[in-house]
Amino acid sequence: MDSTLLLTLALLGFGLIAGLTYRFFHGRGHKVVGNECINLEKLGLLKNELPVTSFGKTATLVQFSTQYCGQCPGVRRALAKLEYRHGDVLFIEADITERLNLAAHFNITQTPTVLVLNSEGVIKYRVGGVPKPRTIEAELEKLGVK
Amino acid sequence: MTTPQMIDPRGPRFGAAITTLLSLIAFYLSLSDSQLAYSTVVAIGVLFLWSVLSPRTHPAGLAFKRFIKPRIAPPKELEDARPPKFAQQVGLTFALFGIVGGLFAPVFVTISAAFILIAAFLNAFFGLCLGCQFYLVLRRVGVFR
Repeated sequence: MDSTLLLTLALLGFGLIAGLTYRFFHGRGHKVVGNECINLEKLGLLKNELPVTSFGKTATLVQFSTQYCGQCPGVRRALAKLEYRHGDVLFIEADITERLNLAAHFNITQTPTVLVLNSEGVIKYRVGGVPKPRTIEAELEKLGVK
Repeated sequence: MTTPQMIDPRGPRFGAAITTLLSLIAFYLSLSDSQLAYSTVVAIGVLFLWSVLSPRTHPAGLAFKRFIKPRIAPPKELEDARPPKFAQQVGLTFALFGIVGGLFAPVFVTISAAFILIAAFLNAFFGLCLGCQFYLVLRRVGVFR
């Protein structure tokens, strides 16, 4: 095989490995250490046109979205469904399109990013991208959501 | 805030598949026939420029609408046109790098084609749009609004 073809194949192989790595890590969440507690007042979110002042009874899901994010609406629907199914879970969404300081504070590089908070509003788990199936459910179960 | 234009996300991915093919040819040729490779990179640059200036009339977009879209299910979700458009601008920048650099040394054509190939390949086959990923990050560091 000549070197031209070999080099071309090597480049394609590199792309393939990069793509598979992305697929493996995208939407895979990780535990959050430290006890950062979300400040609802500072977040200043509305839900059904009312300000959000308290966390969910057992857990809260926070989704960071942008207006230009293609996959955010689908994730929003999935999380809203979870909220509907479990009465003790609160789901809130923060639009960071014009609030880049929020993105900087939470170090958000992609949307959607989902945070799972416990009953006190402490960040326990974080997923960048579209969460893989069942990851959020599993975290909610760990927090004692029925 | 004006309502953004919403598009079928598979349109840009189809376009990326074509770019993948063209840049693959350009990369391969750049290692043997630099004259032909240069012309291919110019063609890629023209296509990028076209989709930045007038995405509605872009040949890949028209081909998608005419031949692919009627044969596949309707999209689950529409997507904002801004990030893909930004990605096209990034692609154009890389093509220009090859077009200008190629005047001085053929190796720039190879580098340019390699970058475009990787980005387009990831977009077409893995749905990973590098430009879109960097969109939020670049806005955060204040490169643009």
